[in-house]
Amino acid sequence: MKRLPEITDKVKKNLIWKSIFRRDYRNTIRDRAQAVFGNVFLHLHPVQVRESAVKLRFTWGMGGITFFAFIILVITGVVLMFYYHPSVDQAYTDIKDLEFQVPYGVILRNLHRWGAHFMVIVVMIHMFRVFMTGSYKAPRQFNWGIGVFLLVLTFLLSFTGYLTPWDQLGFWAITVGTNMGAATPFLGYQGPFSEFLHITPYNDIRFALLGGAQVGGNALLRSYIWHCVAIPLVSIILMFVHFWRVRKDGGISKPQK
Amino acid sequence: MANENKNNSSYRVYIFVFFSLLLLALSFWVIWDDEFGLRPWKKYQGEYKALKHEQLDREYRKAVVEFQRSGGHKRLAELEARLEKAEAFFQSKENKEKFSQLTAEFDAVHQNVARNQKELQNARGQFLETEYYFTKTQKPEYKTKMDELQRQIDAISLRGSTLQKKEDALKSSLSALTAGTAGLRAEIAKMKSGLEEKLEKIANNDKVPVEIKQVHIKDIDKADRCQSCHIGIDGKRQVSRVQPFTRHPASFVYIDHHDPSKFGCTFCHRGQGRATTSVAKAHGKVKHFDEPMLDGDMTQTSCLNCHGDIKGLRGAEQIVNSTELIKKYGCYSCHKIPGYETVGDVGPVLTEVGTKVNYSWAVKWLLDPKKYFSTARMPKFFFTQDQAESIADYLFSMSGTTRHDVDYSGAEPDAKLVEQGKALWSQARCNLCHTTGGRGGNHIKVYAPDLSKVGSKVNKEWLFRWIKDPNAYFPGTKMPRFRFTDAEINSLVEYITSEYLDDEAEAKYAQPVEIKAASITKGKDLIQKYGCYGCHKLQGMEEMVQIAPSLKRQGVSFLRKDEMREKIGTELSSIGSKPLEMLDFGKLKKSIPNDRLSYLKQKLRDPRGYRLGLRMPDFRLSESEVNELSAVLYGFTDANVPVRFMVPSRQELDRMAGVTGYKFTGDFAKVIADVKCTNCHSIRGIGADYAPDLSIAGSKLQEGWIRNFLANPDVIRPLLQQMPKLGLSLGKPAAKITMPKFNLGKQNVEDTNKSDVDVVINFFQQELVTSDIPKEIPVITTMTLPDQINRGKMLYDNKGCRSCHQIGMDGGALGPNLSNVGNRLLPGYIFKHLENARKFKPDIVEPNYGFSERERIYLSNFLMTLKLNTK
Repeated sequence: MKRLPEITDKVKKNLIWKSIFRRDYRNTIRDRAQAVFGNVFLHLHPVQVRESAVKLRFTWGMGGITFFAFIILVITGVVLMFYYHPSVDQAYTDIKDLEFQVPYGVILRNLHRWGAHFMVIVVMIHMFRVFMTGSYKAPRQFNWGIGVFLLVLTFLLSFTGYLTPWDQLGFWAITVGTNMGAATPFLGYQGPFSEFLHITPYNDIRFALLGGAQVGGNALLRSYIWHCVAIPLVSIILMFVHFWRVRKDGGISKPQK
Repeated sequence: MANENKNNSSYRVYIFVFFSLLLLALSFWVIWDDEFGLRPWKKYQGEYKALKHEQLDREYRKAVVEFQRSGGHKRLAELEARLEKAEAFFQSKENKEKFSQLTAEFDAVHQNVARNQKELQNARGQFLETEYYFTKTQKPEYKTKMDELQRQIDAISLRGSTLQKKEDALKSSLSALTAGTAGLRAEIAKMKSGLEEKLEKIANNDKVPVEIKQVHIKDIDKADRCQSCHIGIDGKRQVSRVQPFTRHPASFVYIDHHDPSKFGCTFCHRGQGRATTSVAKAHGKVKHFDEPMLDGDMTQTSCLNCHGDIKGLRGAEQIVNSTELIKKYGCYSCHKIPGYETVGDVGPVLTEVGTKVNYSWAVKWLLDPKKYFSTARMPKFFFTQDQAESIADYLFSMSGTTRHDVDYSGAEPDAKLVEQGKALWSQARCNLCHTTGGRGGNHIKVYAPDLSKVGSKVNKEWLFRWIKDPNAYFPGTKMPRFRFTDAEINSLVEYITSEYLDDEAEAKYAQPVEIKAASITKGKDLIQKYGCYGCHKLQGMEEMVQIAPSLKRQGVSFLRKDEMREKIGTELSSIGSKPLEMLDFGKLKKSIPNDRLSYLKQKLRDPRGYRLGLRMPDFRLSESEVNELSAVLYGFTDANVPVRFMVPSRQELDRMAGVTGYKFTGDFAKVIADVKCTNCHSIRGIGADYAPDLSIAGSKLQEGWIRNFLANPDVIRPLLQQMPKLGLSLGKPAAKITMPKFNLGKQNVEDTNKSDVDVVINFFQQELVTSDIPKEIPVITTMTLPDQINRGKMLYDNKGCRSCHQIGMDGGALGPNLSNVGNRLLPGYIFKHLENARKFKPDIVEPNYGFSERERIYLSNFLMTLKLNTK
């Protein structure tokens, strides 16, 4: 054990280490702040927070847990994409094969599925907490707005992901869901006032969602791309804005004393 | 404050540690579950390997014991001792020196040979190079160099050949030296090889990898992994009778014709073939999986996927039987079913029914046919008395008659006529098709009506006309026109109307009553609503079957446009794969299992039970009929079938080849239309399989015998017809068969002067012949005929023919009686039949003895001598 300092010296006093970490770390306030400033991921985060603000019984940690669930979903989702073809012939059997054949496919898929349910629940609890603690009030109105968008995006992720197994459940859920779209005023062919815009089943909002007049191969492909590319991309961007604004709007809200 | 913090943190550490450990344990569980828990086939394959190892090991040990018992080990020991001796001899100093000397010499020469070979190659290479330059430049110096090189090459090859000779000589003297030991070694190896092969098998078995076995049918992208657990399903030998290790039952039909590596298992058995994680999942016997595995006889429903024609298909006996029910009850009359487009109406013509039956009978029958006859095929439509009368009114008015009944129960029959009629009845063998009070009706597939109450149903005038010419009243009926004289028909009518009366019959309308117009309209509406025209031909409703324009794929056959009819009932062509959510369980949703088969069974048991307003009538099927019929319906799928799997029916093949199917022409067609030979016999693929196939009868039967037989038909093989066919057939034993006596030859065929028999014989001899069968037995000139006959008789005795065939009173009764075979069969047919009996009758039980041609000639000549004296 005497050698330990020597070894750490060897590890630390070379170009590679220095190029990565740039400077030595001492447990001082300045260095702690530097660690946050110098890290691309952490610098979104405020350098300092009030101790009272991180009390679990006030924030419930729900925002962070939501983000954690999102990370899990991204990782498992990417791996799942290796085993999945968004085509009518293959989608369902691919899902079945995840259960029957793919190594660790069961836990992979279940992590993704339960993680998704978890995220939806947690994000709603997060919003509930924010509302109940009044954290949406000035100066955080804008971030509340971003949060509302993120909530919708989370729901949309959940909705589009529901069709991907191409089973009866998903098929009918999307059928029902998009039929609701068909009843949108102006934009849906069954909705009020749509006749003024010459909306038919072949040019309305439902058609845009499904890529056709009924749930089929195009709908599957569309929901796959929304689910795996478009919505996550937008979500990530909005999340960064969200986190940035938490810091800029005065940090996590704290109990009023 | 600090203190509190510290307590707090230590408390948090415990939570942290607890969850970390939990996570760690979970991770290990995930790994274990993924390796073993979700991969039960690994265990099965391991067990199978162990079982096979055991079996092979047992065989090996048995072989060792056998080897020792037969003295093999002694012989081996002896050989080994001799080998040792020979080696010892070889090891003697003198020999050893000689050997080493020879070896050294051989090595030296061998090296020289090799070196020489290299030199030769080099020289040839140089020669080629020079030749190239010479041809390119034409300079003389290259020419001289070429000549020099050629000389060099010759010298080297000469040297090479002497060296080669020397090497060969050395080699042979070396091998002469070791010949003794080498021979012994080879012999020992040969003795051991049988055992070693077995050992190798064991080793190979142990090397078989444990892995998923997947079958993928590429053209339809269907995969199953059943054989990961059912590892021995296509094995040549049974390793264990325990599931999942057994071989496929009856594999000589199913596996031999459907290689599991090409067809997979789920193609026939359904089930969730991709599942490997549990038995229930793989067999598809889990919730929300609509295609549970088919096992036992149910699997035969899958034959319908590819086989266009299952008639006579081995291994499909159950489904063949069940399919007959569709014809029996005429499901195709209301439902569109592929393959039944050209089958005729199941019910009789009703255009002139008013001239045939009593009004009271018609109403009674309409109310509940099964109540009138338990064997009735017509279903119950749940009509009220009023509705039934309306329908009868419509039918009678269309025939131009009134409500009227004729009652024969009180009449005094002419005893002499009745006596004659009775004799004629049994002589003509009416009972072969028609039952009367439970007797007769052996040929069930013609579905002839029961006649035990017919005297109270029809009137005499009609009956006379009917027997005289059935085609006139009902074109296409199965009833043959017997060649009776009018006097004979009269006696028969008298007998039938006096003998077969219904005690419960009532004759309400002995005085005819006019029919009301309102009732007729109501009757017509009812007939249209319930689609009576589906089964019966009705006046004014011929066009009720409409032609649908689309050309949709129907199972294995493609329908032509004119076969696409709009039927009253649901299309059944893919009922066996109809999605469960498309089946309307209605008010029975909770009380029966939520699967397709249960739905079908319940529908057949209680056709109007699912909801109000259904029109399907009640056939009062027995539970076994329900099971059979639902099995057939379950087999009508729109399954994706690769074209290469399809076995089209004969008609389908004809259609694809652009050939119209075989049709009878000329006078014989008239005889057929009258006598309906194809009700029982099959001729060139047309007709039923109830009686022998006549496709090559002209090459088989003698003219005289045919004449005799048609005059007085009798059974040829009395016992066989009462036994189940050996082999796979599970059919019920057929009843004793005789042919009805048609009195052919008594009248001439219409428009001609020929007698029926002449026409039949002419047709047999012109059309039903095959060039495969020679006319005569080949002649042997080296032996006299009596000698040949004697030899034939010896063969007959020696080969045990008599255990099945009978000559005179001697012999078994499984095969045809041969007492009169010389009068019955043509000599060339016997000769050919002895060569390969299965050629003309694929499912014959006669063994193939592999006779030589001479033996067959002897036997044929002998058999031709077997003749009974006929007057």
